[in-house]
Amino acid sequence: MVRLNYDVIVVGGGPAGMAAAITCARAGLDTILLERGRFAGAKNLFGGVVYTASVLSLVPDLFSASRLPFERPVTEEGWWILSQDGVVKITHTNATLRESPPRAFTAFRAKFDAWLAKQAQKAGVLVVPKVRVIDLLIKDNFVCGVQTDRTASWDDHRPAQVKAPVVILAEGVNRILSIKAGLVPRDFSPKEVALSVKEVLQLPKGELESRFGLQKDTGLAVELLGEASLGLPGTGFLYTNTSCLSLGVGLFLIDYATHNIKPYALLEHLKRHPVLAPLLAEAETLEYGAHLIPEWGFFGLAKLCGNGVLAVGDAVGLVNPLFREGTNLAIYSGILAGKAAIYAHKKGNFGYHTLRLYEEALKDSYIYQDLRYFRKLKTFLQQNKSFFQTYPYLLNEVLHLYLTAQGRAKQEVFKEICQLIRKQRGVTGLLGDFVRAMKFLKGW
Amino acid sequence: MKPLVWVFVEQEEGKVHPVSWELLGKAGELAQELDGVAEALVLGHQVESVAREAISYGADKVYLIDDPVLQYYRNEPYAQGVINLCKKYKPEILLLGATPVGRDLAGSIATSLETGLTADVTGLEIDPKSKNLIMTRPAFGGNIMASIICPNHRPQMSTVRPRTFPLPTKDPSRQAEIIREELGLREEEIRVKRVDFIPKDKVVNLEYAEVIVAGGRGLGKAQGFSLLKELAQLLGGEVGASRAAVDAGWIDYEYQVGQTGKTVRPKVYLALGISGAIQHRVGMQNADFIIAVNTDPKAPIFRIADLGLVGDLYQILPPLIEAIKKERGHGKA
Amino acid sequence: MNILVSIKQVPDTTNIRINPETGTLVREGVPSIVNPYDVHALALASLLKRLYGAHITVITMGPPQAEEALKEAVEFGADRVILLSDRKFAGADTLATSYTLAEAIKYLAQEAPFDLFLFGKQAIDGDTAQVGPGVARRLGVPLITYAVKLEIIDQEKKEVIVHRKTASGVEVLKVTLPVLITCDKEIADPPFSPLPELIKAAQTKPEIFNAQRPIPYKREKLGLKGSPTRVHRVYTPQLKSAGDILFVSEIGVSEAVEKIIAVLKDRGIL
Ligand SMILES: Cc1cc2nc3c(=O)[nH]c(=O)nc-3n(C[C@H](O)[C@H](O)[C@H](O)COP(=O)(O)OP(=O)(O)OC[C@H]3O[C@@H](n4cnc5c(N)ncnc54)[C@H](O)[C@@H]3O)c2cc1C
Ligand SMILES: Cc1cc2nc3c(=O)[nH]c(=O)nc-3n(C[C@H](O)[C@H](O)[C@H](O)COP(=O)(O)OP(=O)(O)OC[C@H]3O[C@@H](n4cnc5c(N)ncnc54)[C@H](O)[C@@H]3O)c2cc1C
Ligand SMILES: Nc1ncnc2c1ncn2[C@@H]1O[C@H](COP(=O)(O)O)[C@@H](O)[C@H]1O
Repeated sequence: MVRLNYDVIVVGGGPAGMAAAITCARAGLDTILLERGRFAGAKNLFGGVVYTASVLSLVPDLFSASRLPFERPVTEEGWWILSQDGVVKITHTNATLRESPPRAFTAFRAKFDAWLAKQAQKAGVLVVPKVRVIDLLIKDNFVCGVQTDRTASWDDHRPAQVKAPVVILAEGVNRILSIKAGLVPRDFSPKEVALSVKEVLQLPKGELESRFGLQKDTGLAVELLGEASLGLPGTGFLYTNTSCLSLGVGLFLIDYATHNIKPYALLEHLKRHPVLAPLLAEAETLEYGAHLIPEWGFFGLAKLCGNGVLAVGDAVGLVNPLFREGTNLAIYSGILAGKAAIYAHKKGNFGYHTLRLYEEALKDSYIYQDLRYFRKLKTFLQQNKSFFQTYPYLLNEVLHLYLTAQGRAKQEVFKEICQLIRKQRGVTGLLGDFVRAMKFLKGW
Repeated sequence: MKPLVWVFVEQEEGKVHPVSWELLGKAGELAQELDGVAEALVLGHQVESVAREAISYGADKVYLIDDPVLQYYRNEPYAQGVINLCKKYKPEILLLGATPVGRDLAGSIATSLETGLTADVTGLEIDPKSKNLIMTRPAFGGNIMASIICPNHRPQMSTVRPRTFPLPTKDPSRQAEIIREELGLREEEIRVKRVDFIPKDKVVNLEYAEVIVAGGRGLGKAQGFSLLKELAQLLGGEVGASRAAVDAGWIDYEYQVGQTGKTVRPKVYLALGISGAIQHRVGMQNADFIIAVNTDPKAPIFRIADLGLVGDLYQILPPLIEAIKKERGHGKA
Repeated sequence: MNILVSIKQVPDTTNIRINPETGTLVREGVPSIVNPYDVHALALASLLKRLYGAHITVITMGPPQAEEALKEAVEFGADRVILLSDRKFAGADTLATSYTLAEAIKYLAQEAPFDLFLFGKQAIDGDTAQVGPGVARRLGVPLITYAVKLEIIDQEKKEVIVHRKTASGVEVLKVTLPVLITCDKEIADPPFSPLPELIKAAQTKPEIFNAQRPIPYKREKLGLKGSPTRVHRVYTPQLKSAGDILFVSEIGVSEAVEKIIAVLKDRGIL
């Protein structure tokens, strides 16, 4: 007969859940992972840059695999700062970036998650897709299992239950169960999450390489600022894959509402940008999707764990969008939670005070330090609109003046530039922004 | 002995599926290139008239199995009949229509004869050098055409889509031999019995419609099809649809044109709010004249349209219907 | 009742695009699915098992990844799943495929004869609809294609009624088992399987049959070797050249209508 009791239940087959499950299974725990998608990664979406180090920490023999779950290595990175019709590009590449193994790759979730699932199965995890967890089983204040959307048997139509002394919630940004577990008081607010829309675009053969100056083993990953987000707090991205392009843009959820912007229209606007349009000419859309990103939702959090339960990854807001960190934080938090579950099994105690090992380890890690350091960035950016509203455009104008100043007295040009800056932002404004930014970077 | 190019004549209660005559026309051409003869197989009960009709459509000889067991189509006796004929006369080529009957039958026959079978063919020609039959069919949703040959086995078999080849002209004065053969099966030996038949209310005959007014996702709503129906009726034609419209639930699958729908060959095909994806085009690109109305000038349908109108179908349709009503009025007056 | 279902793993064509330049499939990590018609065949087997009790054996011929298809079969209640996988099977056309499948079925039937053989109406990758009829011939069982309904009228005598879709209506056919049926979508709806079946599926490791074991296949009848048909040439179809493209915003609605009317008259329709 089929067993419904395990040592550990992991809910969600994203990078966080896979990392947790793999960690547990490798330590010999009987681990089941429940994923609602048709397969792990089926409906998941991200921009597409994965840091190699995080994957290595989970799968040390990554590079001995015959086929990597990646698209292109990232060998050139930076920002394209867009005005209405122009761009200032700041990107960086050097020789080390091209040395293998590359430190980052572009990827698709459908492939990457499915590959992680394979690694999990190899490690002994029972990965069960097509099952949605709808509730937690709680007994004497301890989480002791889950209830699924599937029935108990062909004849018994009650929801099937799976039991385990530890449940790891890796459900992503829609953290219904984490709320039910009492770890988070509420859902992310519209100010705490960004909604990103993304398209995968296929260019005519050879055009990806020629338009973006790529070779077989090089790749470009740039963030798009300024006009990409219509001057609102937010960013766009453009990543190159093996044979196609990922293009996306996101704003805080609240800004879509306040400014009456449709997500798809935002992306269309970006695609029609005079600088991007020629790069995308004749592109065919292969995929389109939208997904939420928790942005510093971490600090709305009461606890990362409770009696018999731990939460990891996006569910607890572990994302650092400034550095495109999400997947790696998900993996690290998954590993740490897995370790706590192992520890709890050793001790035979599954209470908060045992599982807290996870919370403590996370707080000691760079993840927590980074998130803390940048935690006010969101508020900062929302309060200092000029960083999105003014500077990208100003920078474009200034550079335009500077670079097209032939045949004029340079002094006059500089005067004009100064006037422009004064008009757009004012000296005090500029100084103020500078001081605030410095203060922010120093960590207040 | 001359190579035999055979066509299985599909009939229901004495009524022949036109694809059989289309194939007989093509068989004549193939036979000429092979220096062979085009012959027809007629199976059924009281179907001698069908055998004579086959001659008038170009059969150089007809093999007739007339038996009460063959009253209506069933796989077992029909397959047995054709297999026996093939074993006895060893045809070079055997063609069937890619209809439910033809497809049911062809796989059974090919297996028993241990020969190759190419399904859903849209092109037939003889390789001038090897004299092999080259059978062309769309693959990967019509994005690619694949030519298939069956070099070392005979007969070379394929099922061919209706409307791939034109209907040959009928010549009732033609004369040819009818060879009667025995089936050699008794009703008791047939394991599947028909106990009832529930006819369809309306048989959609898209393949043979002269005018098709087809709508796609661009209609935006199910009600759009009522306009299309009105226009189709005025023109004595049928309504067609893209898969997007069928998937949206606006209209039945029976009306779908394309790779997984029907292949049509009307005199005029109106594509309204259809982008013209390859899977749709393979089903309608053989129309004599294609009119496309689409708001997007870059829609691929315009690449094959004889008359392309960039605009909103809802702007054009009502005045078009009015204008045709007027024309019809004039006609009567 | 002893039921055999034959299923095929196919690319998920609803998610597939063809790269117009290279003519190759563009599949961004989209995995394969069970051929949609075969899903309904499995659904029928599952339903019969629940109604009358049955043992369900499912086979598929394909590459090692096709084991995913068999896992899905287990979700529907399959009791035994077998993957026919060998390089020698590769490149099979429908004749070689029906041979390979039929031999496996004959081998399995030695344990207990099958009453019902369920196939899909057609596989959406090739759309040939030939494998089911081929296997029926090789097994010497009667064939009913395009089935939309199956009723068991007498369990003792193993009599069933099958509804079969034809161009002009629906035939009601009576037959005594065994019979091979190719299923259309209406035959049964896929059930929402209970959790234990999903867990079983996740744990499943299918039995693997290769070209030697447990069936010593005749090499010359397998794969490419055993396939009478050959791909002669593959090419991208030529588009026929387009005619006029007119902007209604420029010529006006009434002229557009006139243009259409002119065509209809010219072609003898008006
Ligand atoms: C547009 C966009 C761009 C991004 N770009 C990057 C980037 O470039 N680099 C980067 O590192 N990160 C990026 N991220 C962030 C990154 O994708 C996430 O941080 C990371 O995927 C979080 O992993 P997770 O496992 O916590 O959650 P998820 O990946 O969301 O996984 C959660 C899983 O749980 C399943 N699930 C949810 N609820 C249930 C339930 N009740 N029962 C069963 N299963 C359930 C879901 O189906 C899903 O598979 C991006 C995100 C977005 C939206
Ligand atoms: C294996 C496979 C088999 C398939 N088989 C078939 C098949 O047999 N038949 C088939 O049709 N498809 C088939 N498809 C689907 C096919 O790929 C396309 O998705 C489908 O044909 C698109 O239908 P559409 O043109 O109606 O919709 P869309 O592609 O969405 O096009 C709608 C068009 O309407 C236009 N439009 C919108 N509003 C208006 C307006 N007011 N006035 C005028 N124009 C307007 C738009 O510009 C657009 O061009 C198949 C796909 C696969 C993968
Ligand atoms: N490789 C295969 N393995 C198992 N069953 C198959 C295979 N190919 C085809 N079939 C079965 O035959 C049916 C018709 O397939 P086809 O003749 O390829 O259209 C499918 O729906 C399956 O039930």
